[in-house]
Amino acid sequence: MSEVRIAAELRTQFGKGAARKIRRADKVPAVLYGHGTEPRHLTLPGHELLLALRTANVLIHVQGEGVDELALPKGVQRDPIKGFVEHVDLLLVKRGEKVTVEIPVTVTGEVIGSALVDQQLVTVSVEAEATHIPTGVEVDVDGKDVGFAVTAGDLRLPNGVTLAGDPEALVLHVIAAQAAELPAEGEEAAEAAEGEAPAEAAE
Amino acid sequence: MLIPRRVKHRKQHRPDRSGAAKGGTRVVFGEFGIQALEHSYVTNRQIESARIAMTRHIRRGGKVWINIYPDRPLTKKPAETRMGSGKGSPEWWIANVKPGRVMFELSGVAEPVAREAMRRAMHKLPMKCRFVKREVGEA
Repeated sequence: MSEVRIAAELRTQFGKGAARKIRRADKVPAVLYGHGTEPRHLTLPGHELLLALRTANVLIHVQGEGVDELALPKGVQRDPIKGFVEHVDLLLVKRGEKVTVEIPVTVTGEVIGSALVDQQLVTVSVEAEATHIPTGVEVDVDGKDVGFAVTAGDLRLPNGVTLAGDPEALVLHVIAAQAAELPAEGEEAAEAAEGEAPAEAAE
Repeated sequence: MLIPRRVKHRKQHRPDRSGAAKGGTRVVFGEFGIQALEHSYVTNRQIESARIAMTRHIRRGGKVWINIYPDRPLTKKPAETRMGSGKGSPEWWIANVKPGRVMFELSGVAEPVAREAMRRAMHKLPMKCRFVKREVGEA
């Protein structure tokens, strides 16, 4: 995966007032840490960072006055409604270093008839070189029928990438689709409990 | 309909309506979701109605998740009653939904079907909502 160069400035003012001032200028407050170093507080350009973060586990080359490091986004805080990036945690990495990251699992193909793919894991934890993190792993379910299952150990990972999680963990399985209009789970039980809940509480 | 089996206190204060959702703001179980854009109390009847609207549209296939639960009772005094004489009796069970909350999720259907199913479900809900998709690879 190619790295993205982002210009950074060291941040000297902290707290919500300073952070809000940075956000008003279309920038993002960030923190860079790892390898036992002291955390460094940065300001990153908002739009460039937003574009970079569209790729999973993007390798960011942070460059600026007093900072020239490779980093991976460890935590991204977004506004839940507007979607802009509020803050980013960057984890220092070195070239050739092995890191544990979550990569997305994508499903391709169509299962037979009305069967349904029940995806239990949307990401898997893998160990890979920081500069060669795969963008994702594909699972082909084309022509598969009910009962087909894929565990984390069955995934075909690229060379140099190893699974970090449990190989027995179920990634997806093909199940039979339910009938169109089944009553909701526990609907009858819920109706029965309707009068019960307040009565019990009164005791 | 969703309703708590037993509750510690039968009558509660009305929940806080301010602020945005702190968690549950992303699609995590399915592929598509309905996200609240406003604050509202969502009753168990509305949740059930939205679920039915969705499942009827997708017919066979697809899996629906309901990420909210109506665990708060709201009380109401009878009509034409003078003030006082204590708190009214429990009337509704509601989920206190704040902006940003993903309330329903859906998977196993094509996007156009999911969009239409969720559009129908949104009409059953008391606040402005939007259709959201799972973001890939967010840290």
